[in-house]
Amino acid sequence: MGAKKENNGDDMDEKVKKYLRGEAANLEGLKDKKLKGQLAVREDLYGKSAKTAAKIEKWLLPSEGGYLEAEGIEKTWRIKQESIAREIDISSSKNQYDIVLPELGPYTLDFTSNGRYMAAAGRKGHLAIVDMKTLNLIKEIQVKETVRDVVYLHNELFFAVAQKKYPYIYNRGGTELHCLKEHGAVLRLQFLKNHFLLASINKFGQLHYQDVTMGEMVGNFRTGLGRTDVMQVNPFNGVVALGHSSGTVTMWKPTSSVPLVKMLCHPGPVSSLAFHPNGHLMATSGKENKIKIWDLRKFEVIQTMPGHAKTLNFSQKGLLAAGTGSFIKILADFSGSQNYNSYMTHSMAKGYQVGKVLFRPYEDVLGIGHSMGWSSILIPGSGEPNFDSWVANPFETSKQRREKEVHSLLDKLPPETIMLDPTKVGTVRAPQKKEKPTKKEIEAEMEAAIETAKDTDFKKKTKGRNKPSKRAKKRQEMIERAKKPFLEQQIQEHERSRKKQKTNPETEMPKSLQRFVRQKAA
Amino acid sequence: MAVKKRKERAVGGESGNSKKFKKYSNSKGPMKKNKNDKRKKGKGPRLPSALRTELDRLDPKIASDSDDGIDLDVGNDVYEYEEEVPQEESRKNRRFDPVENYEYELPEDFEDENVPSDDDDDDGDFGVGGNKGSLNDDVDASDGDEEEDDERHLRMLQGVTGMSTDAFGGKKKRNSVVISEAHPESEYNPTRDVLEGDSHITLQDLLDPIQGKAGYSKLRKRVQHMDRKSTSVQAPLPKVDREKLERMAVYEHSKKDITKWEHLVKRNREAPTVFFGGDVDLGFSTVGAIASEFEPRTEFEKKIASLVYDDKVMEAHKADGSKLLELNKISEEDYMKHQDHVAKMRGLLFRHEMKQKRIKKIKSKTYHRLKNKDKLKVESAEMLMDPEAAKEQARKQEFKRAEERMTLKHKNKSKWARRILERGLNAQDEGTRAAMAEQLHQHALLTRKINTVKDSSSSSDSSSDDDDEVSNEDRASELLEKAKEKTLKVLEDDEELPNSGVLSLPFMVRGMKKRKEEAIEEAKLALQEYEQLEGTNDAENSKPATASGRRVFGRANNEVPDSNKKTKTDNKMKMDNYYGNSDSEDDLKAKENVNIEGGKRNDVEKDVGPNYDRKEAADVSIFKNFDDNGDPGSKTTYEVAIFASDSRRKMKSENGIDKNAKKLQQVKEAIVHDKDMEEGEEDSDSESKQMVDGILSSAPKESYELPSQSELIRHAFAGDYVEEEFEKDKQEILNEENPEPDKPVLLPGWGQWTHVQQKKGLPWWMLKEHEDSKRKREESLKKRKDAQLKHVIISEKVDKKAEKLQTKSLPYPFTSKELFEQSMRMPIGSESNPETAIRSLNRPEVVKKPGVIIKPIKFVEMHHHEKSEDNKRSGQKQKKNKSKGASGKNKKQSN
Repeated sequence: MGAKKENNGDDMDEKVKKYLRGEAANLEGLKDKKLKGQLAVREDLYGKSAKTAAKIEKWLLPSEGGYLEAEGIEKTWRIKQESIAREIDISSSKNQYDIVLPELGPYTLDFTSNGRYMAAAGRKGHLAIVDMKTLNLIKEIQVKETVRDVVYLHNELFFAVAQKKYPYIYNRGGTELHCLKEHGAVLRLQFLKNHFLLASINKFGQLHYQDVTMGEMVGNFRTGLGRTDVMQVNPFNGVVALGHSSGTVTMWKPTSSVPLVKMLCHPGPVSSLAFHPNGHLMATSGKENKIKIWDLRKFEVIQTMPGHAKTLNFSQKGLLAAGTGSFIKILADFSGSQNYNSYMTHSMAKGYQVGKVLFRPYEDVLGIGHSMGWSSILIPGSGEPNFDSWVANPFETSKQRREKEVHSLLDKLPPETIMLDPTKVGTVRAPQKKEKPTKKEIEAEMEAAIETAKDTDFKKKTKGRNKPSKRAKKRQEMIERAKKPFLEQQIQEHERSRKKQKTNPETEMPKSLQRFVRQKAA
Repeated sequence: MAVKKRKERAVGGESGNSKKFKKYSNSKGPMKKNKNDKRKKGKGPRLPSALRTELDRLDPKIASDSDDGIDLDVGNDVYEYEEEVPQEESRKNRRFDPVENYEYELPEDFEDENVPSDDDDDDGDFGVGGNKGSLNDDVDASDGDEEEDDERHLRMLQGVTGMSTDAFGGKKKRNSVVISEAHPESEYNPTRDVLEGDSHITLQDLLDPIQGKAGYSKLRKRVQHMDRKSTSVQAPLPKVDREKLERMAVYEHSKKDITKWEHLVKRNREAPTVFFGGDVDLGFSTVGAIASEFEPRTEFEKKIASLVYDDKVMEAHKADGSKLLELNKISEEDYMKHQDHVAKMRGLLFRHEMKQKRIKKIKSKTYHRLKNKDKLKVESAEMLMDPEAAKEQARKQEFKRAEERMTLKHKNKSKWARRILERGLNAQDEGTRAAMAEQLHQHALLTRKINTVKDSSSSSDSSSDDDDEVSNEDRASELLEKAKEKTLKVLEDDEELPNSGVLSLPFMVRGMKKRKEEAIEEAKLALQEYEQLEGTNDAENSKPATASGRRVFGRANNEVPDSNKKTKTDNKMKMDNYYGNSDSEDDLKAKENVNIEGGKRNDVEKDVGPNYDRKEAADVSIFKNFDDNGDPGSKTTYEVAIFASDSRRKMKSENGIDKNAKKLQQVKEAIVHDKDMEEGEEDSDSESKQMVDGILSSAPKESYELPSQSELIRHAFAGDYVEEEFEKDKQEILNEENPEPDKPVLLPGWGQWTHVQQKKGLPWWMLKEHEDSKRKREESLKKRKDAQLKHVIISEKVDKKAEKLQTKSLPYPFTSKELFEQSMRMPIGSESNPETAIRSLNRPEVVKKPGVIIKPIKFVEMHHHEKSEDNKRSGQKQKKNKSKGASGKNKKQSN
């Protein structure tokens, strides 16, 4: 009993530590008494906050994620969906089904962030919105065009569809709201929730970012790496990753025309990639029959596994689903040592080609879009058991949804906040060594200054002072004044370099001759 | 006292007697005194100077005449208890000069109850003590003089106070007695020669007569005691030091006074939030609520209330209401009239406004000049008419003057004026000269009056200053001269007696005459004194001791990998080509079905192939490079290039480098053959493999048609040049972000004289510069985040838009970056904190209800135990934190 208590205490300590988000500042060496006092008070408050948060986690978030546990020689990956179905309650067993829609060919899926709604898109123009809780079909439309991808925007009301020529935005009722012609023939769509950005990659390898609130195009970059349909957003920092046929993965942000990171992940084309929700792990699969797991903090491979994956997806709890052909494999890492092992397998009926696997948020469910419709299977331990209504609420009422929409709009992050390490926001910028501007730059600057001086408008003066000659003279003066600092700088530099040259020979003299150097009059 | 001093001086040596007296007088605070004296003393510092000086003069006499020597203390020393004469008072008396002091001895039983009040301030201050002495000597010289003095003084007192001579009569009688020496010589009646300073009176002399009487032994003992302890009196501290000490004392005092607030201030400072008026009940907030609270109190109010709240009146009022409303009705005509009136007024106003706008816009100079002139005219006219306006004008003028004094605007200080002066006034034309003259005139006009004021003030200043420091002999003589002049003036001056008014009344005339006589007498005396002083001129300068009781508060080796490797990118193969013709949807589908997973069993072999190939190519290029470059500058680069290669290549190149290019070529060809072989193999593999692979076995193969051969081949070789390409890419990006330095180029003919003197190669400094920049580049390359990561390129471009999300510099109170960042690590928003903590995390520094008056801080005594407890608490807190941290660390270690 005592041991258990201790264990509890340790548990609490760990939780508190988690909520403290790092170590407290060491105030001992601080000389500024006032600051010391202020920081001590702050730290105290942080501590209290962390403690209450830990308590809340302990007492108010009682659901714990479960997972399959093998007994004896049993292996978890041998457990079939049928055997699971026998053990579970009716409401959960509702989540095991196959929807067979053979005509409108391979389907892709997307869930809203709270996991309540699903949008399914058949390649041949079939769009369907389903309430996953009641399994009601909310809307079904046929766009009579190739559909390549579908993605939900900030809530279930809007979704974007990548169609043959352009992406479109529809509302829940199936009404077309926008046609985003600038994006072109889009292959893959992604939505950045916190930034309200719709990212797309088109046939020509162009990456577009569009702000869906104001409709403004935020970024338009040519990747220069060819056509690709491998795109995924890192949910941790909003960086968009693209997998290319050259085996490279590039990471982009909307404010930079060059990729933040370009890494060679596979010797062959990258077939898919996925990000762990904590943003530290990335899984990639290449056509050379390898699945790799990368640590994005060090940009190093953690684990390389054999096998091909057409589609990859990480669950909220960090399970990795990989689909090829009609076969699905779930990898898990319950030990926390970042060593992914086979957890579950599932094979579809023969002839089914899995196009997309996607874990449903807040549920232990994996959605599978395949060539013959879509399916849903149970993966115990994949979803987050406790939801935070500040983040996403699966039981959201329409009122809450409205309110949340406004809140999230108010909390919208500007596109420049997307960076590799978002914790850098609000810190002190590292001092940049500004290199000396080159001659060309200086000249260009001078030219610009002169131009601005030329372009200035004069006030209309009284009769005598408004003569063209006087105006010209004044303008000349202004130009001269604009030039002056640059010229002065040049002269200074020139002198400095001359001095350097002058002093150099003395110091550069061989040691044996240095004593003959003329002594300076001290 | 003055008398005493004088006597001592006259005697020359210091007798024990006088010493004792001094001591007595030095002792601070009153000991035993006459009643009235005490009373006066009590009032001490507040006495008007005139009265006090009078007292000063009287006291010594009393002291010397009294029975007890101890009583002498009354003769307050010059060095203490003399308040500084207020400035205005001394100023007032300026015309009388400090010299007018004259001697007067009062009888022993003189009672100064009737001493004139504040309003008589005819006496001057006694700034110059030295003068006094000599003057008094003169006075003492003869009896007659003394008597005359007395009489004069009496007269003066009478004249000033307006009291009869009787009040001062007694004194006179006594005086006469003293002078007549009617009584036998005794301690009460010292001999004349004693008075004149011919012999000493010791304390013993005074004690002798009372020998044997009661209290004698006691008295003697005390005297002896004091004799033994007697020391010479120290010279007083300089004024500056004294004031400093005073200030220190005051500071100490005020410090003590203020420190009692410390704990309150500290508490408020340390508090994260200060609450103001937390428990103040605002009570009723609306006017109606306050009005409803009203209760009639006075009779009048009650009456009114009874009338207002009378039922009948109320009813009547209600009934009248409708009638009253009817009264409010305005006839249509009236309304129209009113409307018209308003419209008219508006129209007028508008027109006026427009006019004003137009006038304001006028730029004509002549117009403005004329306008200003008109304005001035009107003003001057006003000045003549209206005293108020005149006053205003005067004030304006005064302001202008002050401004002029400050800016010296008209004193040839402007740029224009300085330029003209530089060029010389003569070179200018009439107009400018006139303008300059005008300006100077203006300045003179504006500063003239100031000068006059200054003169008068400076003169007075100098006189008062001189009072303070007479040490300078020249100054002293100057002062004497001045004083003399002034006294002479007084003598010569014959005031006209007014013929009318109050002053023409006979008694007033008499009084004035008397006063005038006195003044003349005094002036004469003063003159004498001046003459004497001028003769000796080494008068002791005893400064007027002003003991003011006022408070004044006032990396590093040269081994460099990859850096100089120049792989010429002739054939940029874009990977786009792979999919270049596969844009159509159907193609894509077909491609997807290709299973090539197991297709690369011989991965390693293949990897070697292209690598080897690439390496050789690089080597060849290097050799070529070597051949091309004959100059010493690039020699180094070659050497580096040879050793700069990745590990795999290095192993191979051990034997490869020495071989010649031909051999390499052969090998290469062989490999190419091999590769072709592998191609064939792979094709067959891709089919057979599918059956073997466990995972894929379930996938039906038959349902999908195989992609075309060419496509398959392309996929299979997709990875062949991937790494090479990537390396090239990386190199390009590195070159872009850290550009390679330009090769030094020498223009032919530059720095060379003739063929004979031709220098070999480039100048040393060019080479050095080049090397330096190279080294710099290499260092910066090493510092890159991706320096150690072969397969990663991390862009180091700075995002300017994102720069605003970071601070350029540390915000103020912070001194270290770590501390700041640690203090910023916790989000304080509602999303990341429990509800209970948000409030305290976001509480403002000051919490105050609107409308609450912030009361001034109230002094609250802090108890000692509380204080100590408080200290302890804070200490404990820190300790706890420390121990917590320590224990945490320990835990970590144990874990």
